[in-house]
Amino acid sequence: MYNIIVCFKQILDIDQMKVDESTQEPILKNLPYRLEDLSKNAIEEAVRIKEKYGGKVIGITYGGDQATLAMKEALAMGVDEGIILKGYKENNPEITSDVLAKKISGMQYDIIIMGNQSADSYTGLVPGKVARKLSIPLVGNAIKLEMADRRVRITRTGEEKNLVLESNLPALVTVEQEINEPRLPPLIQIMAAGRKPMKIEEIQVNVKSTKKVIWNRAPKSERKRIVFEDVDKGVAEISKVLKGEVK
Amino acid sequence: MKAMVFSEKADLSSQMLTLFRNTFEMDLYTTSNENLLNFGAKNVFKLTGNNLYVDNISEKLAEMYKNNGYDIIIIGSSAMGREISSLLSEILHLEAITEVMKIEPKDGIIATERFFYGGKTVIREESEAKIFTVLPGLVDPQPVNSSSTENNISIDKDSAIKVVDQIEKPKSSVNLEKADIIVSAGRGIGKKEGLAVIQQLADVLHGEVGGSRPVCLDYHWLSEERQVGLSGKRVKPKVYVACGISGQVQHIAGMRGSRMVIAINKDKNAPIFNECDYGIVGDLYAVIPKLIEAMKK
Repeated sequence: MYNIIVCFKQILDIDQMKVDESTQEPILKNLPYRLEDLSKNAIEEAVRIKEKYGGKVIGITYGGDQATLAMKEALAMGVDEGIILKGYKENNPEITSDVLAKKISGMQYDIIIMGNQSADSYTGLVPGKVARKLSIPLVGNAIKLEMADRRVRITRTGEEKNLVLESNLPALVTVEQEINEPRLPPLIQIMAAGRKPMKIEEIQVNVKSTKKVIWNRAPKSERKRIVFEDVDKGVAEISKVLKGEVK
Repeated sequence: MKAMVFSEKADLSSQMLTLFRNTFEMDLYTTSNENLLNFGAKNVFKLTGNNLYVDNISEKLAEMYKNNGYDIIIIGSSAMGREISSLLSEILHLEAITEVMKIEPKDGIIATERFFYGGKTVIREESEAKIFTVLPGLVDPQPVNSSSTENNISIDKDSAIKVVDQIEKPKSSVNLEKADIIVSAGRGIGKKEGLAVIQQLADVLHGEVGGSRPVCLDYHWLSEERQVGLSGKRVKPKVYVACGISGQVQHIAGMRGSRMVIAINKDKNAPIFNECDYGIVGDLYAVIPKLIEAMKK
């Protein structure tokens, strides 16, 4: 039996994001939110640990007003209880790691699962910072995870070799996409998720960060964008161009 | 300013030393066994120990940071590099900014630029952060005439993590970062057998085959070393041919450095057509054979 905590993130749907042609800034208005990609793998792995070894999964997300949606999806995937830490305003690993670690330090847990880098900001700092704040080992980038004798064993991808690593519990494990295929919960579980316990806690942030955003905009695309709908014409033109490039 | 530079990788180490040698006075710390003495570091410290992992390496680096009076820490961006930066940031109580492409110090403030929103945008930030991880492939390493002083540091403290096994991976068969021409397959190929036609086009163009994230990581039709994208290889060929690739931000960020982009996709609204120089709207199984034939003429 293991007490499993999974931390996940809700992000703006970056694949639907458009850019303002005049300012090159992203248009965030009316952009839907979604559960972050690796967060889904983290949730899936947490639920698999429970299913294989027994235990309970508590899901934690530090989010904004829309976070309930992400939490419901996690509960539908098999998380048993949800805790929403509300008050997320900006992407800042200093703040997020502080909020998560403060909450988790008062909880019972054997293993914490997170994605190793989020699909929007790619900082990858939160897991290590949380692990260090909690004084537990960081076991990173798992593509396979097993539990045995109150220890966790993972396979970590390396460039030339994969490493099989072992750590005592409690530990914080981060996962990569290859670790699993996140389930799509059936309708009945989505319905049932509404009856699972979900707590919302308002968070006051008192972490100082010196980080200021100067600008955030799409790199100007200098591409020619000559697109042919007539295949034969396109092939003729493009093969001409390619012949100039290929010796 | 005095910088502590760390990477476990030789290529990333020499890249960072090349990139920042005019900005900082640098000492390199590395676990690599390769010779890195002629890239402009003042000192090269080789870290050795029986069970080196991110925790005991971070603790040693933190100790060296305090003892040697560095102003900032620059780490090569890799899984290990990011983990070490996160641990160092906690041990030393210093703010960290990861995956940066630029580091510009000015009056105690450091401006950085990094990808954001999955590579859709670039974000410029100013901060008093002291720890940075730097993306690979920003510069080709250039040696200098002078030589660094070589030092050894042994790390005696054991890691909390035990390496119980090592699994050799098949030797890398391709280096997409160095390829002049890349023909990439996306989800649009529909089946693994579709790679044959992609390979044929690559052969005609004397190029390498790459793939999008779904093709490499979800379906495993191509090995992960061929994945082009923010989380895979960032490539900059002379010609990049995207076949059946819709053009998700993650992918675009990995091939934005290409000199010329050609897109073949049957969906004329696919975002890839906004990021290409030349495009053909059509079924790749009809278009590519025609293109191959035209190239042979």
